[in-house]
Amino acid sequence: MSEVKVSQVGGLLGGSEGKTFSWSKVRQVANPEIVIAFTLFTVLMILAVFGQFLMTHDPMQGDLLKRFTPPGQEGYILGSDHLGRDLWSRMVEGLQWSMACALLANIINLAIGSTLGLLAAEKPGMLRTVINQLVYTLQAFPALVILICVVVVVGQGFWTLVFTLGLLAWVVYMRVVYAEASSLFQREYVQAARLAGVSRWSIMFQHVLPGVRASLFVIFAFHFAGLLIAESALSFLGLGAPLGEPTWGNLLAESRQYMMRAPWMLLVPAGSIVTAVVTMNLVGDGIASLSRKQGRGMEA
Amino acid sequence: MSSSVDTAPAGPEASRSFENLIAPLVPVLQQLTRLVVLLFMVTTLLFFMLRLAGDPALVLAGNDATPEQLAAIRAQYGLDKPLIIQYLNYMGNLIQGDFGRSLASGEPAMEKVLNMLPATLLIAGLAMAMSICVAIPLGAWLGFRPERADRRGVSGIIFIFQGVPGFVTALICIQIFAVNLRWLPSLGMEWGTIFDWAITESFSIPIPLPSKTWILPSVSLAWFLMPSLTRVVAANTAEAMREDYIRTARAGGAPGHVLLLRHALPNALLGAAALIGTQFAFLMGGAVITETIFSWPGIGWQLIESTQTLDFPVVQALAFCIAMLVFLVNAVTELSFQFLDPRLRTKGS
Repeated sequence: MSEVKVSQVGGLLGGSEGKTFSWSKVRQVANPEIVIAFTLFTVLMILAVFGQFLMTHDPMQGDLLKRFTPPGQEGYILGSDHLGRDLWSRMVEGLQWSMACALLANIINLAIGSTLGLLAAEKPGMLRTVINQLVYTLQAFPALVILICVVVVVGQGFWTLVFTLGLLAWVVYMRVVYAEASSLFQREYVQAARLAGVSRWSIMFQHVLPGVRASLFVIFAFHFAGLLIAESALSFLGLGAPLGEPTWGNLLAESRQYMMRAPWMLLVPAGSIVTAVVTMNLVGDGIASLSRKQGRGMEA
Repeated sequence: MSSSVDTAPAGPEASRSFENLIAPLVPVLQQLTRLVVLLFMVTTLLFFMLRLAGDPALVLAGNDATPEQLAAIRAQYGLDKPLIIQYLNYMGNLIQGDFGRSLASGEPAMEKVLNMLPATLLIAGLAMAMSICVAIPLGAWLGFRPERADRRGVSGIIFIFQGVPGFVTALICIQIFAVNLRWLPSLGMEWGTIFDWAITESFSIPIPLPSKTWILPSVSLAWFLMPSLTRVVAANTAEAMREDYIRTARAGGAPGHVLLLRHALPNALLGAAALIGTQFAFLMGGAVITETIFSWPGIGWQLIESTQTLDFPVVQALAFCIAMLVFLVNAVTELSFQFLDPRLRTKGS
């Protein structure tokens, strides 16, 4: 099942899905790491999409008589917390929250970062200088202050976090698109398109952007992992998810008072974060190695 | 940036020597302009962000202040004037080096921040040193023969470590070493006993001896920095080992350790230097979360503290300091590349 996914991503990268599909090709690209990556990724996706049906308890409803139940006892797969709530269900709910937040922020980052990267790469001039200075400022700016200010003004919440992360964390996209697109703008096909009277925006998004697509996929995966960490860290500090919302960061923050009594309250969210981040890093590595292979295949 | 040196037109002697004199200054001037624009943007952005977030008069007077008290405070601090005038006043003071006084404690804001700085530099330096000491030998070992089973296993473990966020490491460290084993303190920071290293009769350098409170914060921070550095060193070493010059050296009969230490590693470290610079610049922003978890009195901790209590002058001073430090670290990294990488050294200079 995971192998089918591999071919799909390979197809996405090369834009030649379907007609060149064959099992020998899949076996050629599917090294163990990629298989593990996409198996884990599939599991994460299933939990994120069908989580509601996989929860065994109501994540918000506790049974005070069953506080601090160790994992595996009395029907609690991963144990229960200080209010007798099921940690498995809370973990799944947190996963949906974090995944949605990271995904949306990532899409905003992608849009802003690649647009600014393309604009800066197109030609030297005012625009390039201004965008570069903006990037430079964002890197030296304590973004946390902005987030705290926004939280003070509009309060904690899902959309606060999505938009602050979305508007502040796009630098990595801009840098990569800028670096790669700069050379693409010098290519003959772009010159030809320009001479043929293709519009500026069309050259940027239809002719140059596809050239950096492979890198964008790779960053998307790695950046997703980074955003997951950022989201949980901010929630842990009390700046991300609203209090009471069972996100991984909040679960970790709750666990701090009960470390002696219930170490699983720490280990469950910690393990989930690590698994999710490692999965997304593996996916990023996998896509990178697939696109390298494909690049080599085209040269040969 | 250094292209101005290479492309200096061959003109008359006089203008040429002038160009040679000016040329090395051009990058410096460029950097300085960047710094000024950077500091201007940071302070301006922050000023308006913070004013949007809250009313400094309310912070000063407290929540149960009467309207008359509020009005008095507004008049006293000039907060009744239009925002743009306040902004111009603020920038005017800033240019003279006056950041104002902390709304919470009344001490000068910049002084407060500078008092916090040593703790942050200490933890950043310790963590960075530890991370480098582990990552470079480990990365070299991994990259030398990356295909072997033992190295693949270790690489896998490091890959998993890379996915462990810093605050999770910190929490697990606290759980094990402070809660279960009770070996180390998990909160606060002490400078420890100060040892005066006497250079001459009248001049001595105070050296703080390590304190137990340093261990957990710096180790958990180093733990967070180490995996990515190791992976970069390993990848670069592995790549360098595939280069033609290594094959030539090997054919010439150079033993393995010479290949690695003399030929491959220096090239690998070049890439690592860039990452070390980036990581150190990141640490200058204060390892906010690590500092908060361990109640480490550095600028990261202060940043959270001051922003949450809307202590405007301190936040401004903090941001100014952080921007300055990040700039310095980046500039030093960029400059050090000129020394580290012979290919970047300009001819003629």
